[in-house]
Amino acid sequence: MNPNPPAIVLQTLLLLFLAPLVSGYMKNWKAKLQNRRGAPPWQVYLDLAKFLRKDMVLSEHASWVFSFAPYVVFLTALTAGLMVPMLIAQAPLSLFGGVLAMVGLLALGRFFLALGGLDPGSAFGGMGSSREMTISAIAEPALMLAVFTVAITAGTTDLSRIAQSTQDAAWKLLNPARVLAFAALFIVLLAETGRIPVDNPATHLELTMIHEAMLLEYSGRYLALMEWGASIKQLVLMTLLVNVFIPVGLAGPHAPFLGLAMSLIAYLVKLTVLAAAMVVVETTNAKLRLFRVPDLLSTAFVLAALALLSTFLFYGS
Amino acid sequence: MNSPASAEIGSQIVTLMAALMLVVQLLMIGQRMLLTSIQLFAAQSVLLAAIAAVVAFYHDAGHVYVVAALTIAGKVLFLPWLLNRLVRRIQIHQEIEPLLNAPTSMIICGGLTLLGCGVARPFTSLERLGNNTLAVALTLVLTGFFLMINRRTALTQVLALLTVENGVMLAAVALTTYGMPLVVELGIFFDVLVAVMVLGILVYRIRENFASMDTSKLNQLRG
Amino acid sequence: MPLLTFILMTPMAAGMLCLVAPSRRIMAGLGVAAFAVTLGLAVVLLRQVLVCGVVTEGREFLSADALSIWMVLLISVVSLATSLNAGRYFQRDLAAGTITPGRVREFYVLTPLFGAGMFLVVLANNLGVMWAAVEATALSSVLLVALYNRRTSLEAAWKYVILGSLGLALALLGTVFVYAAACKNNPQPLPSFNWSHLMSVARQLDPHLLKLAFVFAFIGYGTKAGLAPMHTWLPDAHSEAPSPTSAMLSGVSLKIALYALIRFHILTTACLNSDFSRHVLLGFGLFSMFLAAPFILVQKNLKRMLAYSSLEHVGLICAGIALNTPATIFGALLHMGYHALTKPVLFFAAGNIHQTFHTLEFRRIGPGVGKILPATGIAMSMAGIAAMGMPPFGLFLSEVTIIGGALATHQTAAGVLILVALLASFCGILQQLSRIIPGMPKNLQDSKRPGTDTALAMTLLLGVLLVFSLWLPAPVCGLIQDASRIIGGRP
Repeated sequence: MNPNPPAIVLQTLLLLFLAPLVSGYMKNWKAKLQNRRGAPPWQVYLDLAKFLRKDMVLSEHASWVFSFAPYVVFLTALTAGLMVPMLIAQAPLSLFGGVLAMVGLLALGRFFLALGGLDPGSAFGGMGSSREMTISAIAEPALMLAVFTVAITAGTTDLSRIAQSTQDAAWKLLNPARVLAFAALFIVLLAETGRIPVDNPATHLELTMIHEAMLLEYSGRYLALMEWGASIKQLVLMTLLVNVFIPVGLAGPHAPFLGLAMSLIAYLVKLTVLAAAMVVVETTNAKLRLFRVPDLLSTAFVLAALALLSTFLFYGS
Repeated sequence: MNSPASAEIGSQIVTLMAALMLVVQLLMIGQRMLLTSIQLFAAQSVLLAAIAAVVAFYHDAGHVYVVAALTIAGKVLFLPWLLNRLVRRIQIHQEIEPLLNAPTSMIICGGLTLLGCGVARPFTSLERLGNNTLAVALTLVLTGFFLMINRRTALTQVLALLTVENGVMLAAVALTTYGMPLVVELGIFFDVLVAVMVLGILVYRIRENFASMDTSKLNQLRG
Repeated sequence: MPLLTFILMTPMAAGMLCLVAPSRRIMAGLGVAAFAVTLGLAVVLLRQVLVCGVVTEGREFLSADALSIWMVLLISVVSLATSLNAGRYFQRDLAAGTITPGRVREFYVLTPLFGAGMFLVVLANNLGVMWAAVEATALSSVLLVALYNRRTSLEAAWKYVILGSLGLALALLGTVFVYAAACKNNPQPLPSFNWSHLMSVARQLDPHLLKLAFVFAFIGYGTKAGLAPMHTWLPDAHSEAPSPTSAMLSGVSLKIALYALIRFHILTTACLNSDFSRHVLLGFGLFSMFLAAPFILVQKNLKRMLAYSSLEHVGLICAGIALNTPATIFGALLHMGYHALTKPVLFFAAGNIHQTFHTLEFRRIGPGVGKILPATGIAMSMAGIAAMGMPPFGLFLSEVTIIGGALATHQTAAGVLILVALLASFCGILQQLSRIIPGMPKNLQDSKRPGTDTALAMTLLLGVLLVFSLWLPAPVCGLIQDASRIIGGRP
């Protein structure tokens, strides 16, 4: 529980600047797979800078919630990100409850996102909010069960200790519970970050919008914060997936600079592989109709439930 | 070759692949496109062949390699090709609405997994390699049964039957040291092949006669 | 002289040759010749087995003990009769246009292969090969059931193949469990999977695994044998198939599955030394008998009624074996034989009726079959009396033996239940057959239909049945006694 100021600063900077880059690269790869040239990966930075400079237009029906929401979304994503080990095996911040706190923070962010969509009173925003809540109602339990699986195997909910517990025995990474939990979390990742087949991040048709619908009324600085917060949340979930399930390459708590560099490279490699997998899944699938999304998420739920049960069943008593 | 550490690794690999077979089976339960279901079956058979190969490697049993090779030749290459050809001739690519929708089916299959693990509990001491592969095998049999009851498309019923066979072969690999005698494996292999060919002929004739693959239309004979 | 191999190879060769045979007569002739040869070989083998006990070939791959030879005899006789009947039957069907020449060729190719598969089931020593052979018979008979390609045929064939394959997958699981039980305490890497070897080490097999194996094998082979409640495919398949095939299906293929089940039963009893498998067999046997009786009464379709009657007889055989006294087992095996001689006659007659009236419904056939088709009527009446279990036919003798054996060993409840079920089916068959055979036909102008009244195969079978009902030759009697000793577990 000792907050480590340099580590906090380093991780915050990493989160802030890596998150948009990951989104940018994913957009670029998707374009390349669709035989387009696509915008360069750093275009996202330029977009964020543009939004920050521009004026805002606020609906006259909006209340304080509308203005408050972007800050909540941004800050909760950032705080949750500080709780996940990125380069060193000890995350800079560790709140009471570990992974539960992290999921709770992300849930808080989503709650305010939905409220922000409802607040201006536009039809599209309300629709987006209700859809988002429907999806998260099924995705959340799957997420919780999957992380509980690894937590039970490690005997703690502290993400850093979970990551450290499996660093020694490489073969323990392949036990069926972790594999099932990984599969479940991959599907939940697609749902939480609003990717095809759950939601199309590039759509402009209101019928197909979920995340975009909630952001429709935002402009200027608030939009920048919302977009940035969403990409940070995506990075946090991806980091959770790669660093907690495959903690290969995480440096020890007192590693020298070279160790940190190696850890950074390993982390970037893992992120690249996961991002590539997500892009491939996005490109090869079509977006599901909304009433079919529970089918997909129930698969994730059952996989996560089986993962949890298999920690008891697959290894005898 | 048979040192404890390597046997441990072998056991881990086998358990992992058995769990992946279970994941593929669950994906098949919720799948609606027929061609994708066939590919999932091929993936499951690849995993089965891999498990056989690992068992052969760690027990120095040459004839189990033959079993793995037969599985690949038959269930991964030939049967999916045959079924794909059938789907293209019939030109029905989508599944008919099942009796129970996907979330309910998923939960029932979760329950069946528990049942399979429960039934296999007393026999864990018998398993040679890999923990609880018998549980996965029984689960495959049970969920294959469920898939057959739940779906009405004739072709999916054929695939369900094939996954039940996969489950039985997995049980054979899990429970017996060197697999079954080669002549038995050959017999089973050819039987499965001929069975799918016969089923394919029947599915084609049903399609011609009834203009659909919906087996719930086969309801004239009663009493 | 490798007799066992010849018995297997002859029908297989005949089936293969029929693929290229130029005319229908040659195909029919090949079928008849093949099964006549196997019948002769079976008689020769009978003498050998009576002397040596077991005949093996191919390093114990094929083995024939008394039970196997009894089944070989039954298969040969029924298949021979089917081949004799099929000639005129398909000639008439081709003339009427109900079937194409391609399908007739399919019949002549598949039927000997079906027979060869059944021979392999009873002659194989290896449990896995036995399973593969049962599956082979199932697959070859599926296309035979679907031969007419009507909607109802396809439905029957689909149910048959799906239920059969599912059941056989479970039977395979049971076989795997048996093998696992054999592997368990065995230092040898690859223990023999031969039934004879397993019997010799039965006491050392793991009892829990074997119990589980028996349950799976029971469900699996029981589905193929048509035991209730896994029998739902039976009435459909047996009624939609062409009559020669129905005769083979009802006459022997059910008994083949029962044979496989009996082998598992013997193994389980030897290992567990308890009455577990006996009770299971008895319970389901009685259940089948009681399920069949009401269905016989309410049937509207002739062949479906005959199929339910087969269900009842199979239940009786199962119960007889489960009662486990020398008398009841002898009676059950005898009943297998007599039933295999009787049921085909009924199905051939039903085939004649179908080709005459173009329907199988009692209501539309109407009374007076005896007047329109005299030979068929007489044959059907005699076979019907036999199937009901009346003297002087042998079925009466075998049923009385079973019931008497049950009562003698104080299994009175079972004996009484069997009697009640048999009485119920007696009434059922009597009532149904008397709706069509006696009486005046509705339409007197249909009085002369000579073409469909052939009764060669039926007469032969009935003759054999009558002869063997009155006089059971000593070798055959000795064979059945040896077989019942194998089942009864005594050396």
